[in-house]
Amino acid sequence: MALSCLTRALRSLTLSKPALLSSQAPVAQLKLGTLVSSTISQCRGFLTTASLKQNRTYWKQRDKYTTRPMGMKKTGGRDHTGRIRTRGIGGGHKQKYRWVDFQRLRYEPNKEGQPFEEKVVEVRYDPCRSADIALIAGGNRKRWIIATEKMQAGDIIKTSGVIGRMAVSANEGDAYPLGALPVGTLVNNLEVQPGKGSQYIRAAGTSGVLLRKVNGTAIVQLPSKQQVQVLETCIVTVGRVSNIDHNKRIIGKAGRNRWLGIRPSSGLWKRKGGWAGRKIKPLPPMKSFINLPLISTI
Amino acid sequence: IFRTTEELSAHGALSPQTRRNLRVSHCLAAKVPPPKKPREKVEIPGLEMVTYGDRMHYVPGLAKPVYPPWEMSFKDPRYYRSPPAQEMALYKDKPCYVFNQRTSILEGVRQAAWLTKTHVNPGLLPHLISLAAKPENQLPDQDERVQNAIKHARFWDTTEPRPRKEKYSNALLLNLLHLCASLQPTHPAVGRRILAENYSLAATWKRGEDLFQIRGQNGLLHCSMDPLPQICGEQEVLETSDRVLESFYPVSPTIDLQQVSVYKEEMNYTGFRGEYPYPHAHTLYFLETSDPNCQLRPEQFRAKMIMFTFGNALARAHKLYGVRPHSLLECPITVQAVGTNGRIFQFLVFQLNTTDLSGDDGIKNQAWLDEDVELYDFAKVRPFIKRKEVKVPAGLAGYKPETFGKFLALYLHGAV
Repeated sequence: MALSCLTRALRSLTLSKPALLSSQAPVAQLKLGTLVSSTISQCRGFLTTASLKQNRTYWKQRDKYTTRPMGMKKTGGRDHTGRIRTRGIGGGHKQKYRWVDFQRLRYEPNKEGQPFEEKVVEVRYDPCRSADIALIAGGNRKRWIIATEKMQAGDIIKTSGVIGRMAVSANEGDAYPLGALPVGTLVNNLEVQPGKGSQYIRAAGTSGVLLRKVNGTAIVQLPSKQQVQVLETCIVTVGRVSNIDHNKRIIGKAGRNRWLGIRPSSGLWKRKGGWAGRKIKPLPPMKSFINLPLISTI
Repeated sequence: IFRTTEELSAHGALSPQTRRNLRVSHCLAAKVPPPKKPREKVEIPGLEMVTYGDRMHYVPGLAKPVYPPWEMSFKDPRYYRSPPAQEMALYKDKPCYVFNQRTSILEGVRQAAWLTKTHVNPGLLPHLISLAAKPENQLPDQDERVQNAIKHARFWDTTEPRPRKEKYSNALLLNLLHLCASLQPTHPAVGRRILAENYSLAATWKRGEDLFQIRGQNGLLHCSMDPLPQICGEQEVLETSDRVLESFYPVSPTIDLQQVSVYKEEMNYTGFRGEYPYPHAHTLYFLETSDPNCQLRPEQFRAKMIMFTFGNALARAHKLYGVRPHSLLECPITVQAVGTNGRIFQFLVFQLNTTDLSGDDGIKNQAWLDEDVELYDFAKVRPFIKRKEVKVPAGLAGYKPETFGKFLALYLHGAV
C-alpha cells in the first residue's frame, strides 16, 4: 500500500499523459475524498513520520467477573494516540487489579428481588485505589467491594432494594436505596442512575450526607460540598469509606512518590496567573441527574 | 512553464487553481482525530441484499456477501470442535456441584462437614494412640531412625544447598512409610497391603435438593485386603443423630464448588476395576501441591482431606450395599487419612455410618481430626543468627516422638 501511494505520487510528476481508464477516475476520487479536500491536487501525500496507528490495547479483556487479581498494563499518562495527555504519571510498583463490583445491588441468577445478606471474609489493601477493599461472600458467589470504615472480617452486611414507608435504621456497611434511609445519614458509593453502579464518593475517608428527600428524588451533598439530585431508587452504602487517615499520611521522600507512579513536575519556575491562589466563590448550582419530562411535547 | 504543466497534468485536474504539490506531512494536525466507530449495519429481515459476490470483486455501494461457515466434509479427529454444552448428550438442566482436587472451599472444615453430614471430633481416639505406646508395636531404635529419616529428607537428598518443599515432603513421607513397613516380620497383616498412586476417584450423593460429586486424583492410597475395624460403638453412632450440623449463613454450602451441567448420574468409582485384590481403602496420604494456582491454606487442606476420605468410603459403600441410600450401615466403613507439608501433620479417621445424606437430621458420619501436629520444630540448613546470637542451630531441632507414634498407630490400625 505504501508502494502504491509512492507510485501514485511520482506518477503525478510525469509530464506525459498516461492512459487513464474512465472507471479508475471515480474510484480515485472516492479514495482521496476522505483525507484531502477537493481544491488541493489529486495526489495523496505520503507520510514520512512514524506510524500514527491508534494503539490503545485494553488489558482488561475478561467479560466474566472474577475475584482473582489480574495483571494490569500501565498507561504512563498516554492516550490512544501514544502522546502524553496527563503529565506526571509513569513508573511505580507493579500492581495487580482486583475487580471491584460497584453495583452493590446485584442479585444472584435465581434470587431476584429479595434483600440479601453477605458475610465479610477479609478486608485488605488495594494498590489501585486509596480505599481498602473487602471480599464478601454470599450465596454461591464472592466479590470485592469498597470497604467502609469499621468493616471487619466476620461482619454480616445487608443489601436491599426495597423502599418502605418508614426509614430504616441502617448499620454501617449496609446498602439501601436513598429513599429508605433517614435524612442526615453519612453515605458513600453513590449511584446517580439506578442500576448503573456507584461512581461517586469512593475515595478513602470520604462520605456524603443525605440532605433531603423530595417526592421521588433525594438530594445528597458530595464531599466537595456540591449537591446532587438523584432518584430515590439509587443504591448507596451507609458509613464512611475505609482508610480514613489516608490524607494524613506523610510521603517523606521523593522516592515514595515515584513508587506510587507519580513523576516529578517540571522544575522550571513559571509565573502564576489568575488561576492560582485561593478563590472564594458561591457553590455551583445543584446538579440534577433526573431526566424530567419535557414541558413542551410537540 | 506553469501553463504547460497544467495542460499536461495527469489525474484529470479540472480547476485552474490546481497545483501539483507533493504534500509531505510532518504531522497532519496537532490533534489526532479520535478513533471512528464503523457505521452500524442495519439488518432488515426479508430484504435481500445485493452483494458483490457474483461480480467476484469489491464494488463500492454493494453489500459484503455473507457465506455459510465452511465445514469439513469428513470427520478428522485433529480438527474436532466439541458442541456447546446444551447440545451434549449428557446435558441436564439441574446442575451438579463437583469437588475436585483443586477446590479450595471458603468455610473449610465446617463446610466439608456439612456437605458430608459429618460430626467432627477434635483429637484422635485414645485407644488408637495407645496402640503405638505398646513396646511390641514400636521399632527398634525408633527415635534415632525417624530422626535419620527426617535428616535424609531435609538435608541429604540433594546436590543443591537445600531441597525444595515438594521434594522433601515427598521424601519424608516415603521414608516414614518405609520405616513403618519394616514391622512386617512381626505383624504379618502389614504384608496384605499395597500403595497406589494416581488413581481416579468418583462418588455421587444427594444433599437436600442438590446433587454433589467428588472427582479427582487425590494422593497416595494405602489399600488392603481386609477392611478396617469399626472405631466407634453402636451407642455413640446412634447418639450422633442428636447433634446438629453447623450452618454458616449467609454463605451457601455450595460455594466454591464447580457447577457442571454435563455429567453422568450415579457415577461411583473406587479407582480400581473388577476384582482388585486390595479393595479396601486403609489410609490416604495427602501432600501439598506445588501448583501456584491452587495453594490451599491449612483449613482448606483439612477440608480436602475430609472430602476425599468421605469419597473413598462412599464409593466403597455404594459398591457393597448399592446406590439406594441406607440410613444405618450394618458395618460402618472406616478410612484414615494423613496430610503433611513436610513438618506439620494432620491426622484424620473417618467413619461412614450412613449413606442417607439428603436430610439434615438422622444418623451422621463421624470424623476424628487431629490438627497441626508438628514432627519437629526446625530443620535449618544454615543456623538462624540474630544480632550475632545463634537463635536456632543448624540441623534438626525440637523433634517430637509422639507424632511418629500417632503415624505408626494409624499405620498399624487393623494389623495388630
